[in-house]
Amino acid sequence: MVIKKDILTSKERVMAFLQGKPIDRVPCMPIVTSNASYLIGKTINEFQLDPKVMADSYIAAYERYKYDLSYLFTNTSYVAEAMGQELVYYDDEPACTHNPIIQSREDLHKIKVADKNDGKFPILFEALDILNEKVGEEVITAVCFSGPLSTAATLRGTQNFIKEMYNDPELCMDLLKMTTESCKNFMKECVEHNALPIILEPISSGSILSPKLYKKFSSPFTQELVDLAHEMNSLIALHICGKTHKIIDLMADTKADILSIDICDLSVAREKVAGKAAILGNITPADELLFGTREDIMGACKRVLEEMEGYAGGFVLSSGCEIPKKVPFENIDAMMDAARSYGAYDFKSDIK
Amino acid sequence: MTKKELFEEIKNNLIEMEEEIVEELCKKSLEMGIPAKETIQEGLIAGMEVVGQLYEEEEYFLPEVLICSDAMNIGIDVLKPHLEGDVSADKIRAVIGVVEGDTHDIGKNLVKIMLEAGGIEVHDLGRDVVLDEFVNKAKEVDAHFIIMSTLMTTTMEGMKVVIEKLKAEGMRDSVKVAIGGGPISQRFATEIGADLYTKDANEAVRKIKEIHEAA
Repeated sequence: MVIKKDILTSKERVMAFLQGKPIDRVPCMPIVTSNASYLIGKTINEFQLDPKVMADSYIAAYERYKYDLSYLFTNTSYVAEAMGQELVYYDDEPACTHNPIIQSREDLHKIKVADKNDGKFPILFEALDILNEKVGEEVITAVCFSGPLSTAATLRGTQNFIKEMYNDPELCMDLLKMTTESCKNFMKECVEHNALPIILEPISSGSILSPKLYKKFSSPFTQELVDLAHEMNSLIALHICGKTHKIIDLMADTKADILSIDICDLSVAREKVAGKAAILGNITPADELLFGTREDIMGACKRVLEEMEGYAGGFVLSSGCEIPKKVPFENIDAMMDAARSYGAYDFKSDIK
Repeated sequence: MTKKELFEEIKNNLIEMEEEIVEELCKKSLEMGIPAKETIQEGLIAGMEVVGQLYEEEEYFLPEVLICSDAMNIGIDVLKPHLEGDVSADKIRAVIGVVEGDTHDIGKNLVKIMLEAGGIEVHDLGRDVVLDEFVNKAKEVDAHFIIMSTLMTTTMEGMKVVIEKLKAEGMRDSVKVAIGGGPISQRFATEIGADLYTKDANEAVRKIKEIHEAA
């Protein structure tokens, strides 16, 4: 096994990949997020509140891994926060929601459609500006945000929200309309800052919802965001946590350009997506990446690459979900090394 | 309507998430003079067993299970005042909770629902549970099982700490430990010396009963 040196820059590689042109190795985008702050000796809370810390963390991570995407993400509740939800902040954990603001329909007046400057959105835009200036020539940046259904579930409390899909679907729809508009306002500004939008839908997971409910309460709203991105000539990705083997075809129907998957047999994904989207996945974060040896991790990457070899829509090696903060940095190195060995292609470039 | 037909009606309406009809039918069972315990067992719990199977087969998902469970609880509320005698004497007793540092409790709630439907007595400590509480509660209720859940990788270690505490208290032989949640794997369960890991709630109920019978 030889670990080959990269020939293209990350940005050149991803652009070529997206245009179906030859590349030097498989694109590799481990979902490194707030724990990148540990590379510069900062906490997760400093990371999520200070755009300079955020940008510097991602620059440090990029310098170390030379991965193919800076994956901006703070917590699953920040769109809800911009709509009026109060979050709980910790010293070294992502902020989260304890008391959902919508206790009944009467509370709807307590929230509003978020505008681009609400909540903590501006922190992300400032971080994007710094990243664009410092490493924008070399690596693409993405912004990942909780999508319409997950944001609505955050505002209402997940358990209540999913029960109301049967008991009060009108309330679900009223919330979904507001969250969709909020996501759009945020996403537009991300695209204006040259970021790739990634819709995150943990609550749309096939571990939680049936395909029927997914189709009714999630995919139509995802679709609106996809359409908006395409109108703006931007690509867009959709990440759903947990199981997706029963909804992966519906995810592809949204026309999202990249499907990021967690627990889904890749042969199923490959067959059902059938080249309609690129697939990004799916090394298990809390198993191999957290506890595995270097050999375990590289072995897992090798299996995934073999399984997706020649996939018409294109494959990106990645973790199945956000990489936990306790994952040793060396384990992410192992994943990158797998991309540079098992995922290296014979490459003759006309770029360089 | 015969007793058998009524139980069948309760069961089917529970599976179909018809909370109000289940409530009416349970009231009717009392009018018919059917012992509350029988209606709970043959109607409500029999219905939840089917719901559990449908969940395991991925016909039902979380919303359906939660609503069926609400229907069961509405029925139990109707019947409970009419229960005779001590029904909890020979039940399996379990303490359940989400470990300290984590407030995600849907998975735990689902397991609790399935356990109760499976006739197991559940003491729910809720979410973000201080680790000592698991051991204290297990001691207090003389539990056969401690069941811990987490969705976060940062709080997984707490499960190991609870097992250490059980050892220190000399309780490890009498209390079995079951764990679950998003990031938990068989690898992790083995590493920390837990007795049981399962991927889903229904399987957990089955395995817990198996382990209890074997013990």
